[in-house]
Amino acid sequence: MKNGLLQIAACALAVGSLSFFAGCKDPSAKGGEGGTTTGTSGSGGGASASGDTIKIGLVASLNGEQRPWGVDCEAGAQLAVKLFNEAGGVDGKMVELKVEDSNSKPEEGKSATEKLVGDGVIVVIGEVASGITQQMKTVALEAKIPLVAVGATNPDITKDGQGLISRVCYTDDLQGPVMAKFAFDKGLRRVAVMTDKKLPYSTGLSKTFVARFKELGGQIVAEESYQAGESNFGGQLTRVKATNPDGIFMSGYFNEVGPMARQIRQAGMNDVVLMGGDGWDSAELISNGGDAIVGGFFCNHYNDQEDRPEVQKFLTDFKANNNGNLPGTTMGALGYDATALVLDALKRLAAADKEINSANLAAEIMATEGFKAVSGDITLKGTNGDPAKRALVVEVRKDGFVFNKAYEPSEVLAK
Amino acid sequence: MNSVLPLMAGIQLDWFSLPQQLVNGLVVGSIYALIALGYTMVYGVLRLINFAHGEVFMLGGYTALLTSYAMGYSPDALRKAFAEGRDVTSSPLNLVIMLLVAMAVCAIIGAIIEYFAYRPMRNQSRIAALITAIGVSLFLQYAGQLFLPSNPPPSVSQDVNPYQAVYTKVFSEAVIGEGGKVIRPAVEVTITQGRVIMLITVVVLMAVLTYLVMYTKTGRAMRAASHDFDSASLMGVNVNRVVTATFMLGSALAGAGAMMLTTFEGTTLQPFFGVLPGVKAFVAAVLGGIGNIPGAVLGGLVMGLAETLVTWLGYSQYKDAVAFVILILVLLVKPGGLLGSNKVEKV
Repeated sequence: MKNGLLQIAACALAVGSLSFFAGCKDPSAKGGEGGTTTGTSGSGGGASASGDTIKIGLVASLNGEQRPWGVDCEAGAQLAVKLFNEAGGVDGKMVELKVEDSNSKPEEGKSATEKLVGDGVIVVIGEVASGITQQMKTVALEAKIPLVAVGATNPDITKDGQGLISRVCYTDDLQGPVMAKFAFDKGLRRVAVMTDKKLPYSTGLSKTFVARFKELGGQIVAEESYQAGESNFGGQLTRVKATNPDGIFMSGYFNEVGPMARQIRQAGMNDVVLMGGDGWDSAELISNGGDAIVGGFFCNHYNDQEDRPEVQKFLTDFKANNNGNLPGTTMGALGYDATALVLDALKRLAAADKEINSANLAAEIMATEGFKAVSGDITLKGTNGDPAKRALVVEVRKDGFVFNKAYEPSEVLAK
Repeated sequence: MNSVLPLMAGIQLDWFSLPQQLVNGLVVGSIYALIALGYTMVYGVLRLINFAHGEVFMLGGYTALLTSYAMGYSPDALRKAFAEGRDVTSSPLNLVIMLLVAMAVCAIIGAIIEYFAYRPMRNQSRIAALITAIGVSLFLQYAGQLFLPSNPPPSVSQDVNPYQAVYTKVFSEAVIGEGGKVIRPAVEVTITQGRVIMLITVVVLMAVLTYLVMYTKTGRAMRAASHDFDSASLMGVNVNRVVTATFMLGSALAGAGAMMLTTFEGTTLQPFFGVLPGVKAFVAAVLGGIGNIPGAVLGGLVMGLAETLVTWLGYSQYKDAVAFVILILVLLVKPGGLLGSNKVEKV
């Protein structure tokens, strides 16, 4: 045992990095190169509806860091199915919602999707996080089953989707520019960017924000990165402060944004405007950010104070079915929208007397036009699965999120 | 060397912010030092790397959180107080209670882990004990997922922390040009009251530790066991008691570190919370010379400063990699660590 210490340390390093990865929040799943999937049902046309019910699947993060989103998403989906069945289902045939937990992890999202496919669902709905959805996509493509993503905003999700992959949310190609335009309209000219380098969502969002803000004539004075699970941002924030920013764009999830906001104020940057994307959307943000995050702005899919009839009907129905509680995050509405959109396509399929199977359903989903969703009108016809939707900017208050401004895609993306 | 040059080209040295970055590094490093002490003390006595130490740190954070809940600072209680317009101002006494409870609970957990997991392995090969330590570490992480609140990750409410004030010492004001352009950044040092208290507490804890190890009977026994475990036991030193005391001391320090990190920095907690600080503190302990108490403190500070200086150079994306680069360099150049002895072990 001459090199005892050396050996032990080498072991330690190996184990350390092992458990380090086990603790990862969202190992990046860029490009969805998950490889081939096995164990999916047969080949060719995917599953078809047989038996007494039509099975549809949902993958949601019912545990783990993204639980607030997953729980709301499931409640929204259950509500959509319940209302649909009460209204008579598809020509009297009931729809059955099968739910699997992704545990907030990409690889578990993948196996959850495989399980659903094995159970004979004809369509899969989910997920909220882009990293998880990337993995689900590989399974859906293999099994030739349509996948409707709920809150995955990374632009790559629908790329090479073979007419199977769609979503009900806007993409980061819109979200980043919306916040860039908002910042510019607000008079901000010197913005610093903080990116969670471990999240494909965060790196993608920062990129689109930076590009658009520069195009508009603003200046990006600093770009710093951190990683999920970190708690002390002093080093990065000192660099940011030295560049005298008037705004900071934080593209990560609420878990780190709250503590970071506090440290920004503690570092003496009291008048700097804090901004972010829909990753901020959780009541936890206000609890872990305290007064520091109040007055911040982020981009969101809808707001429960809008007076559109779809919004108010959804809130009334949701309350009636969830012991009087409202969804804590936007994902309640998006989970509902994704499910309702699928059910609407099923109904059209039945009305046209076509066979109910995955291939026909996929085509029908892609033919959706002007669907009145809670989060705004959705049209998938003529797109690659990305609906052109409006985005809202909401303000963080001590007691909740308040609507500030709405942007149509045309206003934001036009030069 | 050539491959390094393009990397170096991007560096813009910002001398103005260096004082602030050194303070940042000191704060981060002091927490690493506290955790590293636990690794090094156990190694000193048992020649065992206690991989579960990061998890003891995690449990310390949760203890602080749950103690703050018990004192009326849970999210529900605070929401209610906010709705009713009640005053929730905290007092330093609350923090003292959280600190002491976290230290006590961690000390007990440390002793339990030693008694049930490591003691039966005492006379087995070293690798068996090491694997046991890894097992305990994984067990605590995944048991934590089952039993500890982590959906969503909670954090200690800042309402419990009365030390919110910020001290700023300005050496020279910033010169800002047209359109907010920075002509010359300010030279200043900003530190929160919480961090000052954290640094003071770390120094006090280390002074207490030094006293315990150098001037008490248990401390002398500890040093004897560390020098030669078997001879010490032959000379009438109760080595079981010494080992338990070592685990309790090291774990209590980790508990103190976790309490201060969660309370003053507002870190969100989850069962894997201890992994990253644990690995870095372990590197700090090896860096300083594992088994050597001043070495652990030095190693922790060097680690904290190295990380912050990498960020200072503009490479925040490599901040975590630097820990492992340092570990590899130390093992190559000076396997015994900065303050460790480079003795050859007998087989």
